[in-house]
Amino acid sequence: MGWDSALLLSLAVDAVMLTWVVVPAVLLGILVGAIPGFSAQNTLIILLPLTLAMDINTALAFMVSLYCATHLGGGIPAILVNMPGTGGAAATTLDGYQMTLKGRAQQALVLCFVASTVGGLVTSIATVALLPFLAQVGMYLRSVEMVAVMVFGLVLIAAIAADDPLKGIIAGFFGLMIGAIGTDHIYGTPRAAFGFLELYDGVPLVPALIGLFAISEAFSMMERSTIVPRSAVVDSRAHWADTIEGLRLSLKYWWLTIWTSFVGLLIGVVPGAGASIASFVAYQQARMFSKTPDEFGKGFAPGVVAPESANNGVTSGTLVPLMAIGVPGGSTAAVMMVVLQYHGIVLGPRLFIESPDIAYGIFFSMTLSYIVMLFTILPLARYMSQVVLIPTRILVPLILSLTIVGAFANREYVFDMGLALVFGVIGYIARKTNYHVTAILIGIILGPLFEQYLLRSLRIGQGDLTILFSSTTGNVLWAFVVLSVLLPWLRSRQQERQRRIERETPSALTGDQPR
Amino acid sequence: MDHTTRISRRALCGGMAAAGLLAGFTPGLPLSRAVAQSYPQRNFRVIIPTGQGGGAERLARAFDDAWSKLLNQQFEYTFHPGAAGQIGYELFVKQREADGYNLLFGNMGPEMIMYAVQKPDYRFPEDFVYFSRTDIDDSCIFVRTDSPYKDLKSVVEAAKKNPVNVAVSRIPHPASIGMLALGEATGSTYNLIPYGGGNPTYVAVMNGEADIGALPITGVLSLSSQFRVLGVFNRENIFADITGNAPTVNAAFGTSIPDLYSSRAWAVHAAWADANPEDFALLERTSQEAHASEAFRDAFVKTGAPVESLKYGNRQVCTEYAMAMLDLAKRYEPVLSAQR
Repeated sequence: MGWDSALLLSLAVDAVMLTWVVVPAVLLGILVGAIPGFSAQNTLIILLPLTLAMDINTALAFMVSLYCATHLGGGIPAILVNMPGTGGAAATTLDGYQMTLKGRAQQALVLCFVASTVGGLVTSIATVALLPFLAQVGMYLRSVEMVAVMVFGLVLIAAIAADDPLKGIIAGFFGLMIGAIGTDHIYGTPRAAFGFLELYDGVPLVPALIGLFAISEAFSMMERSTIVPRSAVVDSRAHWADTIEGLRLSLKYWWLTIWTSFVGLLIGVVPGAGASIASFVAYQQARMFSKTPDEFGKGFAPGVVAPESANNGVTSGTLVPLMAIGVPGGSTAAVMMVVLQYHGIVLGPRLFIESPDIAYGIFFSMTLSYIVMLFTILPLARYMSQVVLIPTRILVPLILSLTIVGAFANREYVFDMGLALVFGVIGYIARKTNYHVTAILIGIILGPLFEQYLLRSLRIGQGDLTILFSSTTGNVLWAFVVLSVLLPWLRSRQQERQRRIERETPSALTGDQPR
Repeated sequence: MDHTTRISRRALCGGMAAAGLLAGFTPGLPLSRAVAQSYPQRNFRVIIPTGQGGGAERLARAFDDAWSKLLNQQFEYTFHPGAAGQIGYELFVKQREADGYNLLFGNMGPEMIMYAVQKPDYRFPEDFVYFSRTDIDDSCIFVRTDSPYKDLKSVVEAAKKNPVNVAVSRIPHPASIGMLALGEATGSTYNLIPYGGGNPTYVAVMNGEADIGALPITGVLSLSSQFRVLGVFNRENIFADITGNAPTVNAAFGTSIPDLYSSRAWAVHAAWADANPEDFALLERTSQEAHASEAFRDAFVKTGAPVESLKYGNRQVCTEYAMAMLDLAKRYEPVLSAQR
């Protein structure tokens, strides 16, 4: 490697000197992440002329900080109002919003902030140390292996459907059908787009996300005067004790934070994969290894920790292929690539020899931004949680107007605003009839990716299905997939048996007593 | 009493002349243009029918570094990938106003093939015209540096025994046609696997998922530490010195496969160009000047791409190339579309 302790120190000093640009970028990023429809990518595109005018280190610090902060920001509305700000926060709604309904919004926010910042911090530091190895991950996770990774995420539909399997599966399939809209991945022929140009590239995620979660939730809110039930209003008032309880819970689940952030890091390294996949897979994994899988979805702290640490772990991962091989790992990394190339920075392995300050400086800026984020946002949890006390007659119009603008902002199609409303109605009906909107969303997000990797694998194998089981890494992943289905089921059966024994034991004892 | 200020004809003429003279002396602005400065008066909006961060964006931004100075206006980009470029084109033709401020920066090769295969609901050259070609990007066959394939002949020999997996950006693409034509000419078989863009295609070759890759050469050369170019689909390899004298496919096999290069160009609505010949001429002239400028070349070199690929072409050159691509696509239509 082309750096030593002196360089390390100078990079740390340089990063600290850029605090002036990191702080506004973090604040802007949190805001952008919290508004559904706005993303780091479209914000950076808008601000591209500004970043091109900055010197390269400042520009990168600004972009990286904004990018990381959006992942944290996305969790805030997911917890408070059941509306994920970004696709990566969709899994956070499952338990985060349930905590809010129980008057534990502040605890959930603290869990989200700590998991996000610690997850991001750990992975950004780890990336500096493990970069040569991480660069190889993309070489091992090819289409065949990615099919298994996608199935990991899709299995979550089954987990969500545990209470009512039929409805869960119907919702999942409905999502997969919507996900199949758009041009086919091989020849680019439009399919089920009904002549709508705006659907040729598939159903856009942002209007679907906004409609299914934000608009449908806003419709539901109209039926009540406050977000939380009256019984939870007192619990929802700001108490520092809740912040401390959130910190205690974060400490309790420190191991979960670490390993799910590494799940995010590894998924982020694969070009084309991203925060949505990472958070669903991490949630599913956390549930699989939990001793109490049935607690998930009912306001269980690990259900907030896992997706939030994973979607922030992705931030470092997505930069690895850009730095190591000169290929961006995601859409935000692609914008960064433009800026780097504009400044004449040669990407790829030579970057570490010719410009180690740039290559490693990015991860130092990332580390700094997570530290800034933690100290900026943690005290605010107390105040943010009070959003749930705002009357819905004020909140609903605000949410509707912001989300409709958000639906437009991503692609600047008026069509997307209408699409968001259509998904809003679908989401509302789903909620009223107890179909899970997250199951629909998983289908929409993972379905096209699953199809893409599957078709590619089959084409490589020339139609032979055994190609899916032709690699060692892939087979290990398949074994995990099977385990992830069986393990919770076996645990649940065991617990059920235990409960039955406990129920039957007293009477049995009474019955067995000798007269 | 008449309160209207009256200006004599002489005073009016004198004032106009003075204003014209003043404008004529504006540094860097030719007199003729300064007098007739009615276009352009606001920023240009450019549709790029591929994704953010790709070769098209790099090239467009490098080009507008020079062009925006000549036009005194900035360029704003939107990216509409998907359906092999069809979304961007449909959007440009049907939803963007034909006012000379809406431009498209397209990759004529693959996008004309898409047009021939998908038969979308717009017409070329009736609805839009390419008027300024920026580059010629030869299609090439490449492998990763440690690949067992040392040259083109070893690839063809292997493909005669078993189909060789080829990573391509899209099925309707000049490089894909090149592979099909090579197979046809040598009796070898290639299994084309589309990855939907240059970046994922590079990764597929790097990680060994595909045996070889077929893509435009400039992106491959910008990752020269990872890849080795085995051959190009052109009459001449203009990058011979940086590709280790990789041969042309035709020279290696005695075939007569046509030149299969990608070529990016600026396009504008045909209706506007025909109705506003002077303004259109301004776009043509300034784009040519921008292409010849040092500013553009310097910015292009910074992206790591080879400057040899920069070849200007006017409207006629662009149209001829686009029509030739249409003919070629029709020839291979059954295998480029889902008609098999």
